[in-house]
Amino acid sequence: MSYNNLIVNTIRPRIRELKISLHLLNRNYLTRFALLIVGLLVAIALLAPLIVPYPEQIMNENNPEEKLMAPSAEHLFGTDELGRDIFSRVLYGTRISMRTALLAVGLAIIIGVPLGAIAGASGGIVDELLMRFTDLFLSFPPLLLAITIAAFMGPNLTNAMIAIAITWWPWYARLMRGQAVSIKERPFVKAAEAIGTPHIKIVFMHIIPNCISPIIVQASMDIGGVILTIASLSFLGLGAQPPLPEWGLMISTSRTYFMNAWWYSVFPGLFIFMTVLVFNLLGDGLREVLDPKTRKL
Amino acid sequence: MKSFIIKRLLFGVVVLFFVILVTFIITRVVPSDPAQKWVGARATAEQLEQATIELGLDKPVYIQFGKYIEDIFRGNLGKSLRSRQPVIEELKTYLPPTIELVIISTIAAIFIGIPLGVASAIKKDKLLDHFSRFTSIGAVSLPVFWVALFLQLIFYSSLKILPLGGQLGIKTELIYQVPDITGFLIFDCLISANWPVLKDALLHMVLPGITIALYPIGLVARMTRSALLEILNEEYIVAAKSYGLPNRLVVWRYAVKNSLGPTITVVTLAIGYSLVNTFLIEAIYSWPGIGSYIAISVTSLDYPAIMGVTIFSTIAYVVLNLIADIVIALDPRVRL
Amino acid sequence: MSNLKTKGSRKTLTLIFLTLISIFLLSGCNNNGSNDVDTSELPTIAFYAYDSEPVLDWDPSVGTSNEIIIYHNVYETLTRFNSETGDIEPLIAESYKVSEDGMEWVFNIRKDMKFHDGTDVNAEAVKFSIDRTMERNMGAAYIWGAVQEIIVVDEYSVKFILMYPSPIDIISSSSYGAFIMSPDAVTNNDEEWFSQGNEAGSGPYIVDSAKMGEEVVLKKFDEYWGGWNEQFYDKVIIRKVSEVSSRRQLVESGEAQITTYLPAEDIEAMRKKDNITIITSDSFTNAAIHLNTEVEPLNDVRVRQALSYAFPYEDVIKYAAGNYGVQSKGVIPAGIIGYSEDLPQYKFDLDKAQVLLDEAGISEDGFTLSYNYSSGDEIQKKTGELYKAELKKLNIELEIRGMPWDSYFEMAKATNPEDRQDMFAMNWWPENALPSSWFYNLYHSQDEIYWNLSYWSDPIFDELTDAADELSTSDRELAEEKYIEANKLVIEEAPSIFIYDSIKVYATSKEFKGLKANPAYEGVIFFNECYPEN
Repeated sequence: MSYNNLIVNTIRPRIRELKISLHLLNRNYLTRFALLIVGLLVAIALLAPLIVPYPEQIMNENNPEEKLMAPSAEHLFGTDELGRDIFSRVLYGTRISMRTALLAVGLAIIIGVPLGAIAGASGGIVDELLMRFTDLFLSFPPLLLAITIAAFMGPNLTNAMIAIAITWWPWYARLMRGQAVSIKERPFVKAAEAIGTPHIKIVFMHIIPNCISPIIVQASMDIGGVILTIASLSFLGLGAQPPLPEWGLMISTSRTYFMNAWWYSVFPGLFIFMTVLVFNLLGDGLREVLDPKTRKL
Repeated sequence: MKSFIIKRLLFGVVVLFFVILVTFIITRVVPSDPAQKWVGARATAEQLEQATIELGLDKPVYIQFGKYIEDIFRGNLGKSLRSRQPVIEELKTYLPPTIELVIISTIAAIFIGIPLGVASAIKKDKLLDHFSRFTSIGAVSLPVFWVALFLQLIFYSSLKILPLGGQLGIKTELIYQVPDITGFLIFDCLISANWPVLKDALLHMVLPGITIALYPIGLVARMTRSALLEILNEEYIVAAKSYGLPNRLVVWRYAVKNSLGPTITVVTLAIGYSLVNTFLIEAIYSWPGIGSYIAISVTSLDYPAIMGVTIFSTIAYVVLNLIADIVIALDPRVRL
Repeated sequence: MSNLKTKGSRKTLTLIFLTLISIFLLSGCNNNGSNDVDTSELPTIAFYAYDSEPVLDWDPSVGTSNEIIIYHNVYETLTRFNSETGDIEPLIAESYKVSEDGMEWVFNIRKDMKFHDGTDVNAEAVKFSIDRTMERNMGAAYIWGAVQEIIVVDEYSVKFILMYPSPIDIISSSSYGAFIMSPDAVTNNDEEWFSQGNEAGSGPYIVDSAKMGEEVVLKKFDEYWGGWNEQFYDKVIIRKVSEVSSRRQLVESGEAQITTYLPAEDIEAMRKKDNITIITSDSFTNAAIHLNTEVEPLNDVRVRQALSYAFPYEDVIKYAAGNYGVQSKGVIPAGIIGYSEDLPQYKFDLDKAQVLLDEAGISEDGFTLSYNYSSGDEIQKKTGELYKAELKKLNIELEIRGMPWDSYFEMAKATNPEDRQDMFAMNWWPENALPSSWFYNLYHSQDEIYWNLSYWSDPIFDELTDAADELSTSDRELAEEKYIEANKLVIEEAPSIFIYDSIKVYATSKEFKGLKANPAYEGVIFFNECYPEN
């Protein structure tokens, strides 16, 4: 079998698989709707600096003469306590939330995946120790560890992101271990072992690359939860710093003006809700399509 | 079974120790000066030095940790740096209101979440399923702190039908004798047959209760749905259907019953999330519980208080997980 | 097995369900019951919705925080500062006199005063209380730093012997650390007694009940020496209501009688309501930003002056403080010696700032500064955001960092100046009406960093204020002259940006009368002066 053939033979079924999955995803119209909105949000996130009507009011300018004005044609979502356009800030917030969520999940993957792969591939005492260690981290009550870390490291978005990654990596370690355990029995891993490829090389060259797709699926399902956690930390004053238009921070600030400006808390909240919702819907749809137990053609 | 429980319990102790260790490291390695907090912001250098020695902060961290563990066995969690009160006493005061909230939300999760999930699974891909999926996923996607503000805006500011926050109205507190037997207000009202206070307490419970219940309802409905779907695909159900048994009977008698295992697991998980969500909303509702307590403790870096809350939450979490594990172990399908 | 389990859980569920139903039914049944209560016999109540816990520490020798709002109703001090006249007035002390050299003070105690436990207020009690505070050496014990010994002269007079001249009459009126307590109550009870919510005072109110961290209920002390008018509040409830919107709504609905710490937007909205009175008063609290004078480029006085010119005073006062403040004239607020109408102020002028930066040789690329403020302080946050926008125009990047007070206070005291913040936002209010509260704490050279958070040190300034402190009891005029001169020096050297002296605002329900806000006692309401108007 030529190398090309090998590629074709491994890739072709995957492409078919992908096509079926996409078809299934598309069949459920809630999922289709979610996919559409996710695409839209990603576009907003990427283009935010170009498309918001008042880009200068994101970080560097205020307009206090027009503070706390109700929504109007000029300011779709009204203005905030320093007269800044909430519509621009909320849209820009999409970029901040998504970037932070991606980085946090990415960091969790970077920590969790190698640990899980090593545990699964090694087996025995290494596996036992690593997985017990992972379980210990999973035993922390949710959010509490992140709160403590963010508070004591000093509140800013980077530290919040690190805190989230520290609480999230064990899930990836677990997932990866499960995958690794099954993959290490496959012939190509056995073959690599037989020709004396170093253990660590097998883990990084053969096992991890072959488990990427479930990891990515898991990651896409986690984005919603992570965005919510970031907003929660910022709401508690343990995340983003002003004047950054982070949604949780905006809602936290809006509490002071709650009685005078309902729009100030409502719109950032709606955006958090919408974003988390579509990611969760998408994740749910993905899981259904990919899980053989519930999959129906 | 016994050895299984003992093994899980032992692991629980290890978990608790680990959580205490990690939290202790995080809270103590970071440069902050607890002694300063203790003596007050305007104290002199001399006062500060005296306090450092009194609090044992002049000793190496590992000795401080040993002392802390030793004290835990004596039921002493140290004194809060903010209030200089024993943390254990503060926990006793702040826990009951939070536990009440969590109990209410759990009841809601069971009575609303499970039926929602079942309905969704039976009518898979029908309108009802879409509605129910949307509702349940929506419920877990909502930022609770925003929901809290929003509900206040609607039910207090606009409609004026529900109180803004607190456990009781000022008037109720002054007119009636408020029972304080166990610390659990609603329970105390029930056992002392104090109906007017109970009514006011329940009214005050509505908004925070709804806010906290949303997440568990969504979570439980989602899990029930997927657990049920899994079972409905299994052969014995398909077989039962092909025998011509009524659909209702098949679903409720066989499928739902068998999906209760994973559902109960997720209920225990949901309790954990409810507890955490109180951290985010209690301050908004002026609810005198552990959530507002941790929010203040965290922002003032009051490490004995943070440790106290962490220890309590971890014990609760470990016990809940243990219950879930036992339920799963009791599930006959697992033993097969 | 599986059958059994399900039956069991079904039973439990049914039970829970039935309980719930019965709760709702029962609560419904009693709808009518609550109307039977006769409201005419209710005590008159003042409910003070406070932003934070009313009490953190119950020990009057120790507490230096919110608890003074309770202490000043429950305990009394030897003297009290009168905000209307600016004089020190007798309270427990009927009269006092000072020796020529300012080293000996004799206070005559009012007779027929009783503590809440029934024992007499006398010289012994005064000595006991202040000795106790000094021995504990916690909280504000430092205010008695000049006292060498307290001697009981006779039953109703007490003598303070000092180590150096010091205005004990003003110190006795301090907002914390100067309370007189019953020796009987303190010695007959153990260490934990105070922390269980007990008090040993002689003030107009007694602690009725307390819910830790949440609420304190006071009731009127019938035998109060000052007597009671025809109208008064039988009970006072001080409760923590941390949400701004909740505090506003409580007062608007008439549930709460008084609240404070509201944003200007809310105050403006409340002014328009018939059932609400807005009361403003001067305050001794002023807001400043302390610059780290030990690091580049802030060690250059021209850069500091430039930053003072670049500060948008008008905008900050108008939009951050909601016009509840006036631009500061240096360190000292009006009403305290050391303040003068003639002191200079920096005015917002970006061109002047640019000129000064050029003179200092700051490159075109500008630099970055960090601004630390207390997270949750909305005014400090907005101040930072408004300032950031102006500094941007000078190519200076401001990094705003909201931090818990304890973390950034700790950071400010880092050993290496480079590890500290560049700008420290701080509100300062004094423990008593003495200029040294600002001069000494904030700008006097000190071996260790404490409150001198601009890390500035100047021997001429030290000399001026030290001399003025010494003179303050003997030659007030000369002292004032020196204080003003010191103030001028600080303004010139610009170790801090002096923003505004704040104006205190209370929102009360219409019927709540008699409130006299006193700037020397931040947030304290003397409830025995207040009454409900029918």
